[in-house]
Amino acid sequence: MTLDSLDTVVLSRWQFALTAIFHMLWPVLTTGMSIYLVVIEGLWLKTKNLAYYHHARFWSKLYILNFGIGVASGLPMAFQFGLNWAPFSEAVGDFFGTVLGFEGTMAFMLEASFLGIMIFGWQRVPPVMHWIATICVAFGANLSTFWILTANSWLQTPAGGVFVEGKFRVQDYFQAIANPFMVKSFAHMFFATLETSLFVIGGISAWYLLQNRLPNFFTKSLKVVLVMALVIAPLQVFVGHLSAEQVYHYQPAKLAAMEALWETVPAGTPADWSVIAFPNEAAQANTLEVKIPGLLSYLLELKPKLDTPILGLKEWAPSDRPHLVGLIYYSFRLMVAIGLYLAALAIATIFVWWRTGFEGDRLRNYKWLWWGWIFAGPLGYLAVEAGWIVRCVGRQPWIVYGQLRTAEAASHLPPQVVLFSLSGLVVLYTIFFFAALFFGSRIIQKGPNVALPVPGLQNAEQLEIRIKLAEHQPDRRPLETQQ
Amino acid sequence: MEPNPLAPLEHFLPQAWFFILGLFLFLYILLDGFDLGIGILSLTSSDERRRNILMTSLGNVWDANETWLVLMGGSLFGAFPLAYATILNALYIPAVIMVVGLILRAVSFEFRENANNKRVWNLAFGIGSFLAALGQGFAVGTVFEGIKVDGAGHFAGGMWDWLTWHSVLVALTLIQGYVLIGSTYLIYKTTGELQQTHYRTATIAAWTTFIGAVLITISAPIFHEHLRAQLFQPPLFYIFAAIPVLGVLLVFLLLRSLQKRQEVMPLVWTFLLFLMSFVGLGFVIFPNIIPPSVTIYEASASPSAQVFMLILWHS
Repeated sequence: MTLDSLDTVVLSRWQFALTAIFHMLWPVLTTGMSIYLVVIEGLWLKTKNLAYYHHARFWSKLYILNFGIGVASGLPMAFQFGLNWAPFSEAVGDFFGTVLGFEGTMAFMLEASFLGIMIFGWQRVPPVMHWIATICVAFGANLSTFWILTANSWLQTPAGGVFVEGKFRVQDYFQAIANPFMVKSFAHMFFATLETSLFVIGGISAWYLLQNRLPNFFTKSLKVVLVMALVIAPLQVFVGHLSAEQVYHYQPAKLAAMEALWETVPAGTPADWSVIAFPNEAAQANTLEVKIPGLLSYLLELKPKLDTPILGLKEWAPSDRPHLVGLIYYSFRLMVAIGLYLAALAIATIFVWWRTGFEGDRLRNYKWLWWGWIFAGPLGYLAVEAGWIVRCVGRQPWIVYGQLRTAEAASHLPPQVVLFSLSGLVVLYTIFFFAALFFGSRIIQKGPNVALPVPGLQNAEQLEIRIKLAEHQPDRRPLETQQ
Repeated sequence: MEPNPLAPLEHFLPQAWFFILGLFLFLYILLDGFDLGIGILSLTSSDERRRNILMTSLGNVWDANETWLVLMGGSLFGAFPLAYATILNALYIPAVIMVVGLILRAVSFEFRENANNKRVWNLAFGIGSFLAALGQGFAVGTVFEGIKVDGAGHFAGGMWDWLTWHSVLVALTLIQGYVLIGSTYLIYKTTGELQQTHYRTATIAAWTTFIGAVLITISAPIFHEHLRAQLFQPPLFYIFAAIPVLGVLLVFLLLRSLQKRQEVMPLVWTFLLFLMSFVGLGFVIFPNIIPPSVTIYEASASPSAQVFMLILWHS
């Protein structure tokens, strides 16, 4: 590709995709894990079992690493709407900018301010106060999810106002916030962060079990994860189904791309669900296709034959429908497959556990099961990224569905300049990604530090002072001045 | 159309938001200023041990400090979408430099905690801090100088408009200012040999900041007509006349407290110096938000959006 053939809109889209996909990796874990930390800390307070306390301390380490990279990678997100999408920012700032403002002021501030207590406050505030701080962090993180999903859902199904001369004027804020996609999309993402985190924690715990390192300790975390996953994973499959249904109702072109459906399926006929397809956009058809007859009609309407037709991609002019059909089609299938796998894994584990009489020792013999959990560890991330690709690539050519085209929303920048920022970010993010993997796996290799002092224990007082010195240097004068 | 019940608010709201955003920006400059300054200072040290101490002194404050910037970005987008779009569009390259610098330092800080070899990450932290300060300096310089816009307030200049000798001067001065506030913070936080080092860096930085500020104050009205017009308006003129006098006085007090080896006062005088410069800058820009021609009233979101943000923000 020569410099002349570069296109600002395409590069800006690449940059947004890169920054969003990279940013997503970190808050997904911190948001979901914060809820897990609330649960595990609550269990410690209730049962006084020290294992739960050490669990809270151990998983917090991964949490902090992820939080730091999350904040850093969030900065370009806060600025790039103005940098690369200036016409968009101006057109929809009235609502979209306001919502992002809330995300920063209410949610992120809440999370960041209580995080200090959560990380550094173990020995400084009473355990109950610490638990409340953890709850505030979890609440703030999930409030962030709420506002971000509100903003994005509004892009999918804009409501609550009118576009006057290309600018959106809000008439009813609550209608704009409660836009048609908001509730189900938020629920889907809320469960997604939680599910991803649960299977990361479960996968890491299974890794310890396979190595026979601290097996009793990590059986505990696995039990907690399993109980939560048994509820969340099947529920997520259901909420995912509801999300696909709302796409069918509000964004038929996206649904057609998700199904690689070129020809309209008329009412009164069964619709097939394809398992494998090779979409050929030039020919407007699939070169090869393997289908399950009638399944799509069952999925969408629970009937063998459709009541309302499903529109095929050919119903829209090529300029009015999403491209990259193959990407959308396979991302969707990947997400669905992962969702089903995770739910099946949770159910299989409880079944095996029940067969072994709920005894940890006998359960440890089921190596295949632990490999299943380790394999599941990174799958949540893949599903989340795939889901967002379906959601946002499938929305094209619109940035605000049906109102503002992506091509008209990009800043008029020289392509070379966007290429410069894009390549800088690619280099940085690549380094950070591998460094984070390295340091993350190092935390896991090291394992939990069960020698950490427990707040409120008498005999730990001596140790406490020592740990305070070692751990809380930041608030004290530097070492050399401490003599 | 129905009569707009929010009409009387159309003047008050943009002013309130201008003030709130100014407050966010000031808190950010002050708080991240000292930790950016410390990052830059760490580059001047060949001693790895000192660098470790400098980094440790930032501990858990840096991420809290950076939240003000995220807040500022989000609120600017919500309250003045046009300004958010136009200013960032004009400042693409400096903003990217700043963002890259901030990411670099944030991530280095996190990795450093877990690394055995802290040297690489300490260095990356220092470089990141310098880049962030540089980008911010160019941004402040450009906004101060004015951004070329068309009739609708959209950016109409070139990609390299931000690079002028004047913005270079502002950028260098801001870096000196950050080093100054970082040094005075370290004077307050440390003792012994380390503290002595920072009395020296603070004194040098106080002089370089002072010289930069004098050059900016003198050259700005000479070379920029819109600034001249703004500065010599009758009521405001007295404020602008008072600022240099007050500035010289504060620099004098600062240098004296450094010479007396006071521990807290240098930080206080530096804080006041920052506050005064910031208020002065605010008066130069107001009521514009995209100098020299787009006012806060033209760039603001609808009154209902601003009210809504205020209400939710306070609840």
